[in-house]
Amino acid sequence: MNAISLVARREITVRSRTKGYRYGLVVTAILVAVLAALPKLLGGGSDYTVGLVGPQADRLQAALSAQAAHGDDLTIKITRFADEAAARRAVANDDVEVAVVDNATVVSKTVVSQTLSAILDTAHRMVATEENLTSAGLDPAKVGAAQQVRPMTELTLNGSGEDATIRRVIAMTIVVILFMLLIQICTWVAMGVVEEKGSRIVEILLTSVRPWQLLAGKTIGLGVLGLSQLIVIAVVGLAAAQLTGAVPQLPDGTYGVVATTIVWFLLGYAFYAAMFAAIASLVSRQEDLSGVLTPATMLLMASYLVGFVAAQSPDGPLTHALSIIPPFSAMVMPVRAAVVAVPLWETALAMGLMLLAAVAILFVGGRIYQRAVLRTGARVRWREAFGSAS
Amino acid sequence: MLEVDGLKKRYGDKVALDGVSLTVRPGEMYGFVGANGAGKTTTMRIVMGVLASDGGEVRWKGAPAGFETRRRFGYMPEERGLYAKMRVGEQVEYFGRLGGMDAPAARRSADALIERLGLTDRRGDEVAGLSLGNQQRVQLAVALIHEPELLVLDEPFSGLDPIAVDALAGVLAERTAAGVAVVFSSHQLDLVERLCDAVGIIKDGRMIAGGTVAELRARESRKRLRIVVTGAEPGWADRLPGEIVAKNDRPPQGDPAGPDGDQRYDEVILRPSDDQEALLLAARAGRVQHFGWQEPSLAEIFREVVA
Repeated sequence: MNAISLVARREITVRSRTKGYRYGLVVTAILVAVLAALPKLLGGGSDYTVGLVGPQADRLQAALSAQAAHGDDLTIKITRFADEAAARRAVANDDVEVAVVDNATVVSKTVVSQTLSAILDTAHRMVATEENLTSAGLDPAKVGAAQQVRPMTELTLNGSGEDATIRRVIAMTIVVILFMLLIQICTWVAMGVVEEKGSRIVEILLTSVRPWQLLAGKTIGLGVLGLSQLIVIAVVGLAAAQLTGAVPQLPDGTYGVVATTIVWFLLGYAFYAAMFAAIASLVSRQEDLSGVLTPATMLLMASYLVGFVAAQSPDGPLTHALSIIPPFSAMVMPVRAAVVAVPLWETALAMGLMLLAAVAILFVGGRIYQRAVLRTGARVRWREAFGSAS
Repeated sequence: MLEVDGLKKRYGDKVALDGVSLTVRPGEMYGFVGANGAGKTTTMRIVMGVLASDGGEVRWKGAPAGFETRRRFGYMPEERGLYAKMRVGEQVEYFGRLGGMDAPAARRSADALIERLGLTDRRGDEVAGLSLGNQQRVQLAVALIHEPELLVLDEPFSGLDPIAVDALAGVLAERTAAGVAVVFSSHQLDLVERLCDAVGIIKDGRMIAGGTVAELRARESRKRLRIVVTGAEPGWADRLPGEIVAKNDRPPQGDPAGPDGDQRYDEVILRPSDDQEALLLAARAGRVQHFGWQEPSLAEIFREVVA
């Protein structure tokens, strides 16, 4: 065990010292912070300025204020104008976004945003209805009371669908981050294997360390770096969401989704790292690496694309199947779980199968590595790598 | 004591080793010489366990060498390997830790070695930034750091300048004085002759000569006569019994055995069929300035046995 931790520590020290790693971490953190703050920057914090003109301005103001009081993060600043001309000037000078003239006309510079349009429309209807009912002889107080309607409660059978968009955004963020991290860290594993094989330093290493210890130490060390990167991303993302006040908008179970994503990262990493390491041990030069790695990279890319599709149609039959089948499950299941509620047994089954696949590939990959890593020179053929131990 | 016993190795149809045996005692410096492709590197890699043999055995202190035994060996492979992006000090320490030292011991040992090898001011530099000679010193430090009982060095002197050669030779001499067994391969036969207590010559996967340099010399000496005669008639040497290996009629500058005045000078290296007959002939031909068995150098012995 001591040898493994020594090897792992070396990987962490040397790799975390490189500029690429440090800048990468900072850039990712900034990117995630911006992404997390985005909903707030774009959708949240609705501030509107409305100008009112005409006899019904008082009641319109009351109706608008009532809506602002009900809505989250909704403020409506109201300015009263003496006549239409003054209101138009104010709109033209950007003093107000829109002006409502005589509860009949909406004056604006460009197209009114959908949200504001809906707010104005509701206020207009309320005031107009009230007016009509009152003129029909009804008691204005009773009319006012009748206008007080409780909003409907939303009940989604398949998870909480109220924030489908946010869930999709979270799901896609997970796919992108998982893919980027997996391909980056696994490529590091592969490059490290070739570095040691190509420079023959592996000959010295293997006189004091066993091949599986070397491979395990390397994989664990770089895995720890990947995991710490993922945790930085998760913490920065959630913290940014907290700071910008986007947290109330996060769907229920987001923390759970983040936690299982970490588990999926570890499973996926074990699988792909072993695969990348075994393949890398077949060649002696970095130039030959991308060529031999192509099939493994393609598999990872395929998982990535399927994960993207899954974010769009989390309940499709393909998504459903691939969220169980390894190694696709490592990227499809966390995505699916981010969008819809996945039964516990399905998650357990998918994780169990992925764990089995990872163990199998660790075993096979370890054997290939052991056999090929000392065979410098020409590329080792698959048949030789799989053949009986010498 | 390292005992290599009857190693066999084939690569496909090609026989690389055909029963190689050699012995290196504690405190002994063993020079392993042979032409390119003779089997030196293959033998050393099998000793270090990075290559499996097809037959034969490697024993250390009488017991077959396994993984734990080999952790007490130090190794410098033919093609140098270091982590280019690691600093000198931390790299040497790392190999000390892998060799089983705890952190303070590895640090002490690394400091001492780095100082001994003249790398103190490069301690914090990345290996990639060092000259080849300095990289070689780091490579040696990596092989020595865990205070191994046996050192296996494949061409440790190749590519070094004379000062670096002396530094490396000095370090190796210290180790053998401390009881470490050292085996190294080299094509620099003068160096092997100067440094080694024992020499083994390998050809086409077989050991064709072995022993101390003195033993080899004794076996190969009394084969060549060096005869210097002045004032002889031209052509006298053709009557000498045996095979003339070399002839020279120009006296070396300042040679005390040189000619008196403008007399003719003849130096002959002879593989005699009858040494007494040769002496008589030389004495009759002119004035014998030198007549004696020539001490062969290791290079000459090597050419003799490998030819």
